[in-house]
Amino acid sequence: MPSHIIKDHKHIKWPSDLVLEIYSSLLMDIWEIVSALIGEAILAILFNLAIKRILDKYTFLSYIKVSEEGISFEKIKEGCRNISPNEIHRGFQSLINNLISLFSILAEGVINKEIFPKVFPKIKEAERIVSQK
Amino acid sequence: MKLIFKNLNVLRSTLNAIGMSFELKEIVDSAGINLPNLFDFISFGFFWRESLLIYLIQDESCPPSFTEEVVKNILNVFSTLADEEIEFQKVNVQSEKKRLRPGQMIIDPNIRLKSHLTLPLIIEGKIIGCISLNSDQPNAFDAQDLQFLSVIGYQMVASLKHIQRLSSIKNIAIYDTLTNLYNRRYFEERFEVETQKAFFSDTPLSLVMVDIDHFKKINDTLGHTEGDKVLKEISNLLKNSVRKKDTVARYGGEEFILILPDAGLEESLMIAERIRRLVENTTFEIAQAQIHLTVSLGIANFPSHRVRSKEDLIKMADQALYEAKRGGRNRVCIYNPPKT
Repeated sequence: MPSHIIKDHKHIKWPSDLVLEIYSSLLMDIWEIVSALIGEAILAILFNLAIKRILDKYTFLSYIKVSEEGISFEKIKEGCRNISPNEIHRGFQSLINNLISLFSILAEGVINKEIFPKVFPKIKEAERIVSQK
Repeated sequence: MKLIFKNLNVLRSTLNAIGMSFELKEIVDSAGINLPNLFDFISFGFFWRESLLIYLIQDESCPPSFTEEVVKNILNVFSTLADEEIEFQKVNVQSEKKRLRPGQMIIDPNIRLKSHLTLPLIIEGKIIGCISLNSDQPNAFDAQDLQFLSVIGYQMVASLKHIQRLSSIKNIAIYDTLTNLYNRRYFEERFEVETQKAFFSDTPLSLVMVDIDHFKKINDTLGHTEGDKVLKEISNLLKNSVRKKDTVARYGGEEFILILPDAGLEESLMIAERIRRLVENTTFEIAQAQIHLTVSLGIANFPSHRVRSKEDLIKMADQALYEAKRGGRNRVCIYNPPKT
């Protein structure tokens, strides 16, 4: 069995799936916190803008669909099949950095202060997974 | 807890006031009156992309340098989010100074923008402007301020949508869809107002009827689509030939009517003659051919003519138009009362 496969009791999860799960859950958390502060319509615009900014570099992010109804990760797993966990991690990290930058343009530290406690532990967790050889 | 309840009540009345507004400026004013009870700020900005307009409600102590910083910041946020550069010089800034914080008014030229909350206003996924709260104090705003400001922003958007809908309904009701001139219904309303004003204050009022000569021939030979083009082009010429206070309406078919308030016979003759000459000298490109057209015009005037009602004025202008047609077309005729 290759070393980058992590055994979780009876279920085996690939690192890329794990990284995807971490970031999907983090983005959902961000959506929940920030939509309560600025509303879904504004937040959807910010998410789409952040994705658009880095789409050339991380094309798999086009599988994330954002609207006022929320974020959908329906096809991202399929879209990331041939992408390394490290690349997925970098793509999502870049997306989150862009979001943080947009939040700070709008409200300086007000939004970021609310989301940072969620962001850092999850990014660390993703880092840990991708660094495992 | 008491403070939250108090703030919620203020927020409620702010939203209510914004919801009752029927004009852009009214929306901003409604917010401006209530915001000082909700936030600690020295400048509130509202940017409306369509008109490149920024309304600012600022504390009396704000120097021009602070205003400039606020405007630039609003434009920067808008440009970043909408991906559209807006030139600072092209924006019309309307600033209203108020006392927003207690104490003596001292203009401090050194105050700088230290914190802000700026949110986009969005209609159907499109950013149509921004609202912004600004302070000269660092970290002046918190998460609750942001929540309240976003709720206010959404209410503003709802009111703006309502205003847009009302204005499109109003447009359908008063404009002729082909020519974009006022329609006959609007003319009747406006004419009623203008005649009453003229009759009561004894000020002059002229009515000019305009008819395109041989229009039927254009429709018969070139078709109705080309005929419609002629109507549109003549309508534009009419709109561009009158004064700001005049009303130009499509009266029906190829007939137009002009209400000229405060215009005596001499002035209305000048306007009518200008229109006649303009049409005569214009080359119309119709059905891939260059054609020349003419118009006939009839003028009636209060008090020069013995007008007892608004209907009289219409009859007289119509009679004068008939005389212009009978006299050979491409001319202006002033109503000539029958000799008794």
